[in-house]
Amino acid sequence: MNSGIPTCREVERDLVAVAASEARPAAAHGVERHVAVCRSCRDELQRYRVLEGMVSDLRRAPVPGADPTLARAELESRLADIRSRMVTYGIFPSPLGKILIARSELGISMVRYIESEGAGRSHLARLAGDNVVEDEAAIEPVYRELLDYLNARATRLNWPLDLRWARSEFQRRVLSVTAELPYGAVASYGGIARRIGAPGSVRAVAQALRHNPLPIVIPCHRVIGSAGDLTGYAGSKIGLKERLLSLEGVPVGHRAAKIERRHMYVWIAPDKEYCVPSCGALSEMPLAQLTLFGSRRHAEAVGLSPCTSCRPDLHPLSA
Amino acid sequence: MVRDMTEDPFETIVATHHAEIHRYLVRATSRSGDADDLSQETFVRAYKAYQALPADANVRAWLFAIATNLSRNHFRAEGRRRHAMATAALGVSERSPSWPEGEAIANQASARIDRLVAALPFKQRAAFTMRKVHDLDYDAIGKSLECSAESARAHVFQALRKIRRGLDDLDVVHTER
Repeated sequence: MNSGIPTCREVERDLVAVAASEARPAAAHGVERHVAVCRSCRDELQRYRVLEGMVSDLRRAPVPGADPTLARAELESRLADIRSRMVTYGIFPSPLGKILIARSELGISMVRYIESEGAGRSHLARLAGDNVVEDEAAIEPVYRELLDYLNARATRLNWPLDLRWARSEFQRRVLSVTAELPYGAVASYGGIARRIGAPGSVRAVAQALRHNPLPIVIPCHRVIGSAGDLTGYAGSKIGLKERLLSLEGVPVGHRAAKIERRHMYVWIAPDKEYCVPSCGALSEMPLAQLTLFGSRRHAEAVGLSPCTSCRPDLHPLSA
Repeated sequence: MVRDMTEDPFETIVATHHAEIHRYLVRATSRSGDADDLSQETFVRAYKAYQALPADANVRAWLFAIATNLSRNHFRAEGRRRHAMATAALGVSERSPSWPEGEAIANQASARIDRLVAALPFKQRAAFTMRKVHDLDYDAIGKSLECSAESARAHVFQALRKIRRGLDDLDVVHTER
């Protein structure tokens, strides 16, 4: 036993560490003293140093058969596929209650009034399986715009939309036509049916709008019954429909949840003018042929001008 | 206006790390075909978990951990490892057609080491490759192998010792036994 000099066995690991230049000072010192007196460990240290040099060549040497190009290309296409199925969502408070907003890489795919977060999540899971990621931060900008809209600080939601959860081609057509209804205007279910070229499908239109995956954004609240009644909204949330319409300056009779034609300006697409409801034979025409505006401002905001015979600009309706 | 829906920071992660993770997996599994599959799987898993990753996380170490995990599970098909060990013991590579034999001496030595690495038990092979080829620290290696940094260091040590012995008959390292 040499006093204080570690044995071969004791320095074995430290030899490796010293060769790799990662030994602690005390260990390095022990190795230094040991190899000064031990020929075989000195040789061993030398071998490990040579090995370290060879091993460091591995970083530069090509790995045989390792061409990542094909794997990378396949990966990109798998990721593209996953990405296209992936849905990001957030749940937020709003003046109309809790709202779930979801989007895909194509656009906003869901706006939903929810009773509870759990109910919202399970609804989403039923539609999208496990391709769902909660990411409030990613949805936040969309939510801010929605809040501005609901607080009457904005009248448009210029979002790219993804109608992946439309249930049929028919519903897609209904939603697209409904999306074109201007802010502050209403039309009837029959009117939407006419516009998609299926005037007999009033009930089917109502069903399609009942399952609108994008309420508010696709303004199904602007679609009403042929007698001006609000009929329904998001299940039994007719109060929300009323609030959204009031927000847009559409006068809703509070007791009957009904829109009175005599309080609304009238437009027959594709005319360039809007009228008071008593102009000509307008009051005789079915609502399905008309679009009604609650205020002149919103009619003129879409480029319409006052009718030159009934002059709504000179004889405005008293709201 | 809503920000661009197609912008995806994960694309940068793939571009930055895929080739290296693939290279690591070729050594960790000692088969390039497996590396193709496992490198894809690594990034698909990473993509799904990416949103939950803290902003200050070490993405590279995290990817190595996923890749290591996948290849460990993959390698539980024990027979394959025995096969690799047997071919290494015979000094014959199963990849010999593409092996750059007869090129520079340095490449021959690298090839020789690669064969010895292929014959190591999984943990030693992975720890050695992460440390010596990819320069990861022992903490990161420990996390990948679900062990302490000290155990990770011990795996690298065992690997080096076996490789050292395996090279005894090679000219560059003199033996005097």
